[in-house]
Amino acid sequence: MKWKKTLDWLGAHLALLIVCFLFFFPVLWLVLASFSATGSIYDLKGFFPGSFSLSGYKTLFGDTTMYDYPNWLKNTLFVAVGSSILGTVLVILTAYTISRFQFKARRTLMKSTLVLSMFPSFMGMTAVYLLMVNFGLINRLWALVLIYASGAPMGYLVQKGYFDSISASVFEAARLDGASSFRVFRSIAMPLSKPIIVYTALTQFAWPWSDFILPNLLLKNKDKWTVAVGLMHLDETQFTRFAAGSIFIAVPIVILYFCLSGFLVTGVTAGAAKE
Amino acid sequence: MRKRTSFLILALILALLLSACGGETGAGSGGTTGTGPSDTGPADTGFQGDPNNPVILHVLENDTAKAEGYLEALLTAFNEAYKDRGIQAVDANMDEFTDLATNGPYGYGPDVLYQANDQLMRYAEDRHILPIDVEKLDCYASTPEAAWDAFHMTLDGTQYTMGVPVNVQEPMLFYREDQMPSDWQTRWDRDGNGTADFFENWCDLYALSREIHDADPNKFGFMVSMNNLYLASPFMLSFGNYIFGEKDGVLDDTDIGFSKGQAVNGLWALRQFAEQMNEGCIDDTVTLNRYEKLADGSYFTAISTPDTYSLFLGNLTNRYKQDGLSEEEAAKKAVENLKMVELPGKMPLNGDLSQDSASIAEDGWTTTVVMGGVNGYGISSYTKYREACLEFVNFATSFDMIKLRADTLGIAPTRSDVAAQCGDTADIIFNSLSSGRIYLMPSIKAVNQIWVPCQTVMGDVAKDPFRVKQGEAAKYPGTAELQAALETIDRNIYDAIHTLAG
Repeated sequence: MKWKKTLDWLGAHLALLIVCFLFFFPVLWLVLASFSATGSIYDLKGFFPGSFSLSGYKTLFGDTTMYDYPNWLKNTLFVAVGSSILGTVLVILTAYTISRFQFKARRTLMKSTLVLSMFPSFMGMTAVYLLMVNFGLINRLWALVLIYASGAPMGYLVQKGYFDSISASVFEAARLDGASSFRVFRSIAMPLSKPIIVYTALTQFAWPWSDFILPNLLLKNKDKWTVAVGLMHLDETQFTRFAAGSIFIAVPIVILYFCLSGFLVTGVTAGAAKE
Repeated sequence: MRKRTSFLILALILALLLSACGGETGAGSGGTTGTGPSDTGPADTGFQGDPNNPVILHVLENDTAKAEGYLEALLTAFNEAYKDRGIQAVDANMDEFTDLATNGPYGYGPDVLYQANDQLMRYAEDRHILPIDVEKLDCYASTPEAAWDAFHMTLDGTQYTMGVPVNVQEPMLFYREDQMPSDWQTRWDRDGNGTADFFENWCDLYALSREIHDADPNKFGFMVSMNNLYLASPFMLSFGNYIFGEKDGVLDDTDIGFSKGQAVNGLWALRQFAEQMNEGCIDDTVTLNRYEKLADGSYFTAISTPDTYSLFLGNLTNRYKQDGLSEEEAAKKAVENLKMVELPGKMPLNGDLSQDSASIAEDGWTTTVVMGGVNGYGISSYTKYREACLEFVNFATSFDMIKLRADTLGIAPTRSDVAAQCGDTADIIFNSLSSGRIYLMPSIKAVNQIWVPCQTVMGDVAKDPFRVKQGEAAKYPGTAELQAALETIDRNIYDAIHTLAG
């Protein structure tokens, strides 16, 4: 019996190790490739570079004549932070409104958003492009912020689930004490919703941070490019720079996730069970 | 009902207000619709703007010109020369392959763009670029007719020139001088003319490749992406075949001629040479790794275009540095050893590369024909400053600027006066253009449809030797199958032009 348990343990851990390796190996490969001394994917000795150096990172940040990575990073940060702040406000407001208020066509609105959110966002790209052209918003970073933020409330369901899970009696008590709707939201709902706000902010940050399609469509000038667009336009001979750029773009988001992971876990699981 | 009407009016007002918010849209912000040849006026090179409020021209150049500092030098020189005439040129700051057809109509394209002739003429057919009164330009007399032909378009019986030639491109053979066989002067120079036979005819290049590959299976004498029509064009265009026929002096896109003449011999030669390469020749691998592989000695020769010289040079310099040389020594040695020559001029007429070149009579050879292109400047139809653009084009194609361009970028200029001063390579390419050894990419929109059908078949034919090595049956064992493949190319191109894209 004991040997069976040991075998189960070994089998499970072996399977986990294989899965971990499968996920980890490409990342490891990319990290090592970003330190390749020659800068070329064709100079690898087997899987990994034959010699290592920091030249990929040095050129990434130092040589900005053709590929201005620091500027792309700045643009990406602007779009991601802007979208995250504005998107979070809109999502939280939408979710709270749908969760706490009864109004005409509420159910119709919920059903409509559910159906609409099932369509992939790139379906409307041509329309978005024409709208942006007519509004004079091509080559404007904050146009991206507007688009990402305005689309964000479509995914309000997780947040609504969270607000649904807060006991209605808390809100009723505040109401009885004479608090206005805004006061209830600000003084009761918000303090209780930190985990879901953090979760929302993170998800609203992550999507614009790595999106390629929309920025590529709307940002024509090189000095307006985001990192994803810039990396896609790197010359075919710039592999190490590409690898270094890909690695570096992951750094801020990894730091954010680590710092806020405590909130994140609570936020993700919140709303899963209703009181 | 009243509420609804109010809401609709409000929405309408909001939409109108937002539309009015659209600011200046930058380059080529005319926002006009394409005008095309019917809008031609005489080119006026006497533009005078307001020096205190100069017009801004957005210039789209290629990445190499930007990376090597030529664009900056050009813009600085132009802005200095035209500061009193109220014109200022700036980098369009866009991707070099930005699509004028997509962005121009909305006011986001460049005013002046530098592109290959096939690309510019695609724009020309759809009226995205303006015809140019080229006779007034400084470069007109010194540019050969063949180069101007690349930018000619005939409409309603009238011929228009849609671009101004700058340089000619053709596939070239790159190699390392220090990798030459030590005995080449005794073994590989039968005619004693000081040029190795393997740079003069394809049979000897094949023989050398076989010798190199047999001695070391990881080394290759000659490498090219065989699926690339442009780079592997000697096998596709040297045998009396053609891309589009002509009707009344105009290219006829219903007459596709890849399978015509003795084209099958060329495809046979392609298949034969693939045997001496690795599987990277089937796809784009060689195109991507040729810089490193030539530098590390894995490839003795590789095909590329002159504008990639600096990439080969950079890789070779790095290689010498890895071998222990200082930066300066490595750079000097790389310049000394990196050579760029035209492809071998003689191809066996029967397509059999395994023959002894000495046994082939003079009439058993055919002249190698390579596909080439003429890069030049075009003026966007969406620019607000046509005359100012013409001033810029005139300046950028002047003797001094083309000379600087040639010196900086190693291009082969189309101006005969500059070509004569730029050394052997530029002069040789220039002469090849004039003599018709370079088959210029047809300057019609239909040329867009030739690449994929050719790529598919050429890659598949190049794969055949590797099928056999893996124990599979050959797909193209003889000329009948190869001829059928060529006819498939013609048919697919025709369908793409007249059925699918039409």
